[in-house]
Amino acid sequence: MFSRWNWVACGFSLVLSICSPDASGGLVQSCGHIIPESPVLALGSNFTALCILNESCLDFGNIYASQIIWKIKNRVVPKEQYREINRTVSSVTFNDTSSLATPLTCNILADGQIEQNIYGITVTVGLAPEKPKNLSCIVHQVSRFTYVMTCTWNPGRHTFLDTQFRLRYSWPGEIFPDCIPKDVNNSCSVTDIQFFVNTEIWVEATNALGKAESDPLVVDPIDIVKPLSPQNVSVSSGVLPTVLKLSWENWISGPVMTLKFNIRYRIVGDTNWMEVPSEDTASPRTSFSVQGLRPYTEYVFSIRCMKEDGVGYWSDWSEEKTGITTEDQPSKGPPIWRIIDKSHSPACWIVHLIWKALKPFEANGVILQYEVTVRDKSSLSAPVKKYNVTSTNHTLQLREGTYEVTLIARNSVGASPPSVLLIPASNSKAPVKNLRTLPKQDKLWVGWTAPNSYVLKYVIEWCLVSSSSDCIIEWQIALGDVQGIELKGIKPFKCYLITVYPLYADGQGSGQSVKAYLKQDRPSKGPTVQTKKVGKAEAVLTWNHLTVEEQNGFIRNYTILYKTIDGNETVVTVDPSKTEYTLSSLTSDTLYTVRMMASTDSGSRTGPDFTFTTQKFGKGEIEAIVVPVCLAFLLIVLLGVLFCFNKRDLIKKHIWPIVPDPSKSNIAQWSPQVPAKHNFNSKDQMYPEGSFTDVSVVEIEADDKKSFSEQDLKPFDLLKKEKTTSEGHSSGIGGSSCMSSPRQSVSDSDEGETTQNTSSTVQYSTVVLNGYRDQTPVQVFSRSESTQPLLDSEERPEDHAGGADSPAQRQQYFRQNGGQDEINTDRPCFERTKQITHANEGDLVGFVQLQISGQSSQPLGLGMEKNTQEAALSNVLQTCTEGQTVRPETVEENPLSVDEMPKCYLPQTVRQGGYMPQ
Amino acid sequence: GDSWGIFTFLCAALCNLPALPALNCSEELGAGQSIQQTYDLTRYLEHQLRTLAGTYLNYLGPPFNEPDFNPPRLARAERVPSATVDLDLWRGLTDNARLAANYRAYSRLLCYLRVLDGQVGTAELRHRLAHFCASLQGLVLSIGGVMSSLGYPLPAGPAGPPAPPGTPAAPNDFLKKMDDFWLLKELQTWLWRSAKDFNRLKKKVPPAVVTLRLEARGF
Repeated sequence: MFSRWNWVACGFSLVLSICSPDASGGLVQSCGHIIPESPVLALGSNFTALCILNESCLDFGNIYASQIIWKIKNRVVPKEQYREINRTVSSVTFNDTSSLATPLTCNILADGQIEQNIYGITVTVGLAPEKPKNLSCIVHQVSRFTYVMTCTWNPGRHTFLDTQFRLRYSWPGEIFPDCIPKDVNNSCSVTDIQFFVNTEIWVEATNALGKAESDPLVVDPIDIVKPLSPQNVSVSSGVLPTVLKLSWENWISGPVMTLKFNIRYRIVGDTNWMEVPSEDTASPRTSFSVQGLRPYTEYVFSIRCMKEDGVGYWSDWSEEKTGITTEDQPSKGPPIWRIIDKSHSPACWIVHLIWKALKPFEANGVILQYEVTVRDKSSLSAPVKKYNVTSTNHTLQLREGTYEVTLIARNSVGASPPSVLLIPASNSKAPVKNLRTLPKQDKLWVGWTAPNSYVLKYVIEWCLVSSSSDCIIEWQIALGDVQGIELKGIKPFKCYLITVYPLYADGQGSGQSVKAYLKQDRPSKGPTVQTKKVGKAEAVLTWNHLTVEEQNGFIRNYTILYKTIDGNETVVTVDPSKTEYTLSSLTSDTLYTVRMMASTDSGSRTGPDFTFTTQKFGKGEIEAIVVPVCLAFLLIVLLGVLFCFNKRDLIKKHIWPIVPDPSKSNIAQWSPQVPAKHNFNSKDQMYPEGSFTDVSVVEIEADDKKSFSEQDLKPFDLLKKEKTTSEGHSSGIGGSSCMSSPRQSVSDSDEGETTQNTSSTVQYSTVVLNGYRDQTPVQVFSRSESTQPLLDSEERPEDHAGGADSPAQRQQYFRQNGGQDEINTDRPCFERTKQITHANEGDLVGFVQLQISGQSSQPLGLGMEKNTQEAALSNVLQTCTEGQTVRPETVEENPLSVDEMPKCYLPQTVRQGGYMPQ
Repeated sequence: GDSWGIFTFLCAALCNLPALPALNCSEELGAGQSIQQTYDLTRYLEHQLRTLAGTYLNYLGPPFNEPDFNPPRLARAERVPSATVDLDLWRGLTDNARLAANYRAYSRLLCYLRVLDGQVGTAELRHRLAHFCASLQGLVLSIGGVMSSLGYPLPAGPAGPPAPPGTPAAPNDFLKKMDDFWLLKELQTWLWRSAKDFNRLKKKVPPAVVTLRLEARGF
């Protein structure tokens, strides 16, 4: 330390020397020094340091004590703490050393402002050692002859200084070498100890600021010995099954120390130690016989020792040694019970005898076998049956009756006292009353009230109720004087079925059962609720009971919680026996969320949400609406039909206007070539002008509707024209009208106006029965103005058929017309045609054009034309149209066809020259 | 007259009892305790010496380690205090004389033993000898303690740090070994006899006796 500080001082003075102008080449000499050098100061004390300047420096440097500046590290000490003692000495005083730090330097302001260091010192601040307290020593035996004394003490506060502790011990007039602790300051171990001499022990703490001694401890080291625990402990079994002999060796011989002992032992697997009374082992010894042990039981032994007079310390417990006592005969018979299976036949029992293995302390050895003796009590003559069994159950087949079963357990030493079980024919005796349970911590207490008569013992059966498997019966026997037992091994949250049977000397009472939980929990899941039926204002909810495993307790009630999406929850409590509930007063057509909660005594759990929507209409409401509506509709229809039926003539007149019968037309009157026919007059009479007025009514209607184009009305116009211009003219209509196409007819009619005027050709008159409006194409009756003469064969029948008809038979006439002309065509065909035309109304327009163009390209006679038509139309259609000449397209006549028609028409007349206008 | 005497005696004893200094009491109690302790120590030393002597004689080698080796006691061995005093004579001595004799003998024996300790070759044996020496030193102190507790003055002479033996060293190795042999043998005898002494003294100064002595001193 000193040398170091000399170095520091030299360093400081070197700086000064170099800076001094006159230090060139001289010895390195300090310009001053501080007193005291390297002080060690007590914390909190005051301290004064002096800086003494050398005279030599004063001369050349003009430096004086007044210029001295004190510094702690780099911090200038306030001037108030300085005192100039004389020209060369300045002192600084610190009232509290805690403000000090290293280094403390003395500096000088030389040549104005240049600060130069003169000298510096280290300052060490600390505390004097405290008196060590709580000195205590213990002598550990390390080996047979080696003892180590370890003393510990409380070193007191930290001193901040290097403090040396030493343990000192002495005899009167003899001081032993000190024990100096290594690495620690609160304990030291002495290896060479002398017993039987009082030794004074104390601790000395020393540092730069002082020295402190503990109170001395005067002790004979033999009195603080902690001996080694006995070694080589061995256990041997004695002659008696309740005794084990323990032997060991001691580490300490008698002359040094006499010992006393503690022996502890326990059954293997048990944690509680038992101790041999200490007064039995209070004298020196190397063996001990432990008595009162259980037969055939493994024990663990451990031993410790200390000085006999009890002064000193107990040794550690020795290593544990085990020993087994010898076997003894079983102390009691095994508890026995039976399960009787009468399911096969009531008269023949299958008796399962079951018994419990004896507990180790009862069995006193290894049970080699059980001896079962069955005596039939009902018949004295019956032999006693004996069975030797090694398991703990035995099954017998017995006839119904009263039996006495005796059971003996046997080990290598002997047999147990017998256990007797009486199996009566029936459990006719009084049962226990008031069976109840009560949980007691982890056990379930079962209590009952004894029957009036004396009970030998009770059998308590219990089993875990499970939905998936059978009840596995456990049982226990209680003595007849108890009225309650605690069942162990009962799991919480499980349902147990407990049955108690009283056993009498001469019979057995019937069992009383109770269900119990050791501890209830809330159900592990909530019931899953569903709707069975949903109505307008009510819903039938249904759910399944929770399984026993899910219940975790007695279900006290179910709670149904339901709500609409934004409404409040409604709570309904339901009896736990129910599985269905009807919610009423619901709002119709509303989404409801319902969930269900099952509650036990210790809580409840809610099942999943179920949503349903109530119906808009109640039951029968729809029917109540629909049925009257339907009935009303039907009534209206019926009325309409009746009305129509009543007014059918009027309707018919509107829909099917009366068309004059061509056969009765007096065409001969307007066509000079045509000779007057017979029956003409009659025909004329039949169709007077008045009948045509009806036709004109249709025309008016068409006008009203304005949907009728002029073209549409043309046929009527034509008709009128025909009537007006050539009234009564007629042609062999009938079959020929069928043969001629409507277009022809229409074109005829158009052309007819011109041809009538210009040419001499005689035209067929055309009667067009227009499709009424957009309705089904109406039959068009064309009166051909063809020049082609009517065949007699064709004309005749028509004349005949139609000629003699009255107006009332007009309809029939049309039919006849079809029927006669189309002999080969069936009636359904006509119907089909109608359908097809219906369906293809739109197409037909195009079809018409096609037909027309076909006609133009092949301007042949009627026969050819017919072929063309056949090619264009389907056969069916064709065949039908032939007879009927039903052509809606006639109404929507294409102007183009009007232009073309004459071309095709005129040559036709030329070609068919055979039929010249007459 | 007698009964009056006893009565006054008891009265005086009772009156003086509270006045008795506590120090006295503890001192007297300590006497019995220190006798017991000294006895224990003697037994302990005997026990130690038994093993130590065996080891040391083995170290000396034959014939010293032979069980029946019984050499004649040489004249030069006389410097070792002998315990071969007639037993009756020994018993006839006062406690004080016996304790003083013990004290002196062990002080001397200790001196020789320390010399022996310094010469032993093996470290283990030296260690055990050193330990034995320290114990023997303790015995000397204990005897001193017992004597002072019983109120006997310590015998003058080699008390405290024992003086080095003035006798010159043995002329040859065998004679030196013979000295060592006799030293151990005498130690054994002394310890054996001391144990008896202290046992007797222990019985002589039981707690009851201590009380009587207290009363006597009170007068």
